[in-house]
Formats: sequence, C-alpha cells, structure tokens
Amino acid sequence: MRMAAQRLASCAVFLLCTSAIAPRGLAADWELSLDLRAVSSDGRTSFLDNGLGKLRFDDGDDGIQLGRLRAAWNQPLGETFSAHVEASTWDDDDKNPIDLTEAYLEYRPYPRAGWRTRVRLGAFYPPMSLESRAIGWETPYTIAPSAISSWIGEEIRTIGIEAQVDWLGTRLGHSFDFQLTGAVFGWNDPAGTMLAMHGFAMHDRQTTLFGRVGALQTDLEMAKKELFHEIDDRPGFYVGAQARYLDRAILNVLHYDNRADPAAEAVEIRDFAWKTRFDAAALRIETANDWTVLVQAMQGDTEINPYMLLTWEFDSQSALVAKRWGRHMLAARYDWFEIEFEDDPAASGSETGNAWAIAYSFDPGDHWRVALEWLRVESDVPARIEFLAEPAFATESKLELSVRYMLSGYF
Amino acid sequence: MLSAGACFAAAHAQVPALEVSVAKHDGQPLSGAVITVERESAALGPAAPVKAIMDQVRLAFTPDVLVIPVHSTVQFPNSDAVSHQVYSFSSARQFQLPLYRGKPYPPVQFDQPGVITLGCNIHDNMIAYVIVTAAPFFGRTDTRGQWRAADVPDGRYRVRVWHPLLNEPREVEGTVEVNGTRGTLELKLSKALRPAPLGSRPHTWDY
Repeated sequence: MRMAAQRLASCAVFLLCTSAIAPRGLAADWELSLDLRAVSSDGRTSFLDNGLGKLRFDDGDDGIQLGRLRAAWNQPLGETFSAHVEASTWDDDDKNPIDLTEAYLEYRPYPRAGWRTRVRLGAFYPPMSLESRAIGWETPYTIAPSAISSWIGEEIRTIGIEAQVDWLGTRLGHSFDFQLTGAVFGWNDPAGTMLAMHGFAMHDRQTTLFGRVGALQTDLEMAKKELFHEIDDRPGFYVGAQARYLDRAILNVLHYDNRADPAAEAVEIRDFAWKTRFDAAALRIETANDWTVLVQAMQGDTEINPYMLLTWEFDSQSALVAKRWGRHMLAARYDWFEIEFEDDPAASGSETGNAWAIAYSFDPGDHWRVALEWLRVESDVPARIEFLAEPAFATESKLELSVRYMLSGYF
Repeated sequence: MLSAGACFAAAHAQVPALEVSVAKHDGQPLSGAVITVERESAALGPAAPVKAIMDQVRLAFTPDVLVIPVHSTVQFPNSDAVSHQVYSFSSARQFQLPLYRGKPYPPVQFDQPGVITLGCNIHDNMIAYVIVTAAPFFGRTDTRGQWRAADVPDGRYRVRVWHPLLNEPREVEGTVEVNGTRGTLELKLSKALRPAPLGSRPHTWDY
C-alpha cells in the first residue's frame, strides 16, 4: 500500500512538473492561409472540368479565383510524438467543401550517436519532390509545380507507415548526411488513372484524401476519379535514399510500386487497381549567392487488365533555375513529359509535351507572399482528336498572380 | 576599440600579453575562430566558470558558437513563437530539453571539455556549438582574425584553433613563448574552409 502511495505521489509530482511546462511547449501550432489568384488563360477545357487541357485554370476561368484556402494543425503528443493535419479548399468542384491533403502521426525520437529515426503513420506525401519544400507541400519557386510534382500531388499519397533512418554526418564533423526511407501503404490502387485519362498536367491543385479530380458527371465512366482507395488488398511499398552535402546539395532517389493487381476492379468507384511503378530522382543545388538549380526525372509504367493487359509507360524531366535577391526571387523551369500507350505514340492515351514557366515572387515575411507566373504548355495528345474532335496539338498559356496571406500561432 | 585600448594599457604597464592571429589558406583573416591557450610547463587551472546564454531566434541559435570554461552553465531560452527541442548527442555532454517555448528549464552545466554539437529535433537545419575548455585563456578571433589576452604569466603556451567549418587534416595549433614581453603567434590554415550554412532562406521553406 505504502509503495503504491509513494508511486502515486511521485506520479502526481511528475504530472505537476510536466503540466508546468506543457502549456507552453506542448501547445498546438496552427497555420491559416488564403491564396487568391488573378488569372488570364487561353487554356483548353481543363482536366479538372473533364477536358484534356493541361492547366488548372482554362480560358473560361479568367478573373479572380480561389488559389487555396489552407489550415494546418500540429499537435505535439508527449515529447516525441506529434499529429499533423493539413486541410484545404481548392474549388467548388470537389466532393467535400473542405478536405484533408495529409493527416499523420509522427514519431521523432531524439537523435542518438549520430543516427536519427523518424516514423510516420497516416496519410502523407512520399519524400520525393525537392521542389515541393514549402509549407502545405507547395513549391516556393513557382505557382504551378513541375509536371512530376503536379502528378504526385494529384495521384500519389502514402496511406500507411513510413520509416526513415538518417546518418547525421554533418553533426559529427563530416560534410555529408545520408538517409534511407521505406514505406508500406495501401489505398493508392487507382494511382495511374489520371495519367491514362488526361496525361500529365501543370497545376498546384493537390487531390484531397476524400475528394476527387474532375467534375461530377452522370456518366461515371467519363467522370474523373477518387484516387485513394484500396481495391485488391495488396499493400504497396517504396524505398528511397537521400544524400546531402552540407545544406548545399541534396540527391534523392525513390522506387515506388503500389503492387496493385491489374485485374482487380472496384465497382463502386468504377475504377481498376492500376499497377503503377516508377523510379524518381531529383537533385537540388543551392549556392551562397542564392542561386538554386533543381533537376528532376521520373520514369515508370501503369497497367490494368480489364480483358487484356494494357500498359501506359510514362516519363518526365524538369530543370529549374532560381535566383533570390533578398525577398525577391526569379525562377525559370522547363518540363518535358511523355506517355506511351501500348508502345504506340499515336494512340489515344499517348502524349508528348513540354512546358516553360517563368515566375517572380516576393516573400516579405511571415504573412504575405506575392507571385506572378507565366506558364506555357505545348502538348500533342491524340485523344483530343478521338474524344473532343479537337486538334491533337495545343499550346496553352496563362498569366497568374497569386496573393497569399498567412496567419500562424499556437494554443 | 576597447580591446585595442586595453592592449595599449597593458603594453604601457609592461604586463606580458599574448596575441594570436589566424589566416585562412588564402591569407584572408579567419574571424570567429575559437582560440584556447594552455601553458605547457606548470599547467594553469581553467578560467572561472561563467553563466552564458544561447538564445533561439528565427529558427537559429544565437550565438551559433559559444566558448566557455568547464563547469560553466548555459541557459537556452526560446525567443521564437514555435516550440524547439534542443539536444546534444556529443560525448562531452549529452542532454535533451523537451519541447518548449520561453525559458522553462534551468541552465545546463558543462563539466567536461570538448566540442558539443547542438540541434533542434523539430527544425533539422538548426545547428550550434558549445566549446567547453579547461584552458586558462580562450576567446574568438575578431574580424581581423586576431585575438589577444593580457596578464599572461611567463611560460611556453600551446595555442589551439577550432572553427565549425575547419577542413584541416590535422589539428591547427602552435606554441608561443611569453617571457616578460608580448608573445605573438601567426597560424595559417592549409585548406579552404567548408562552405558556411545558408542562412537566408525563408522559414516557410523546408516543410
């Protein structure tokens, strides 16, 4: 009894001590941001309106648009666990007025003897894009990210568990750090649907966990899909590695395989399990005089087997150069992308394209960010002839001004 | 100006002094280098402990290098609006300060000489160093790459240089004699420093 009472007393003292710190240290951090756009676009009917245009805002969207309304919440849970939730509203076509892009529990034990471990459980992006480094998985360089990052935001989400191990060489007096990542996930079997339906696109609209890409239609076959479903009960995986030279250069590689059964079908969402595999590599170099060079490459394929095996092979590369002068930044990026359906470049489902983006941004501090982007996409999409009776080749361009205001705090 | 004045006064009073200058491999002065000076014959005891502060402001430790005598204490306040979680896994002093804002923890005491690398477990880019020394004389070089000490008793001294960006194959050190007059030592690095951390990126990056 006495032992128990002593334990209770020591527990009470411990709780009192921790609660004295908790109100300040363990408070939840929050962020709220509103991003409004002024758009001038000559784009074809957007993929978001079930067209085959490559831009988020097409020629019917000129004027003031909602870029993104975002709320983020980070709740420490004890000393080494925390919960992260990202919620956004993009447009009124989505299934839910506000929805989640990421929601996960993170375990961050203290580094020991030069080694650091991180574990994430929930829904989040794989560590792949060195471009989407800013809060909300946005790119700080441009408004629309590269074709590769646009696709990741559209179709890829890890809903599962991921572990990372870092060797922190730079904290041991060396010039390099190394990282290995592995994840097992489910609920990403439809990944690949969008590449097959509308190909690559250049946009900053991330698909929400319970949302959809494209407008609702009575004909579900033609409507765009919901992407985060488990269809075949087979988990997928990815493995990745990263090498960092001080804080100047990062090389990241990733192999992704959702291990879907291409013959499996989900009647309720009218979609297949798309067996999607890709390899991705990215290199980012930053210099002391504020230049950034970022190159990315991705190559993979996706398959379904409704009555015979159908294969889409895809690859894309991009190169970005950015220069900062204090709070001002200029960035230019070139993208190239290609999809080949059944080894036939002229088939519906195949495409080639390239894009140029030039962006200026002004980041004066904690609250405001202003960005102006000119983007031009050239694409040759044979499906435009078959499904839309339009020429296969299109040049689309847009000028977009983004004004973002952000508030943050803790409670 | 103050140190120059002090030196002038010291020279005037005929008190022995020590002057160390450190140059990079290209001859340019190395500022911010940590100098520790120990007497080789009849060792002198460490300097008196101090109470130091290393703050956290806009996701950076300030100062990013702190040199203190053994048995000194350092307070790690957090002046940011976001929480920090300070840790060290260096063998000379391992400690952890669980998530906090403001100044909730007592100062951390450093009893063993060595280089202690600090990090924040929330913001991976934050890095700083506490150099704990048993030397009687220590300090950091100024913008001209120079460091001076006054009231240095006669003897032969070993001078060691440390800098977070040093890239030398072996320790940068030298010896100097102080014999009733000013002792001077010039040291030069053999290789270029490693690149300094990029400090100017907006803090909304690195999601």
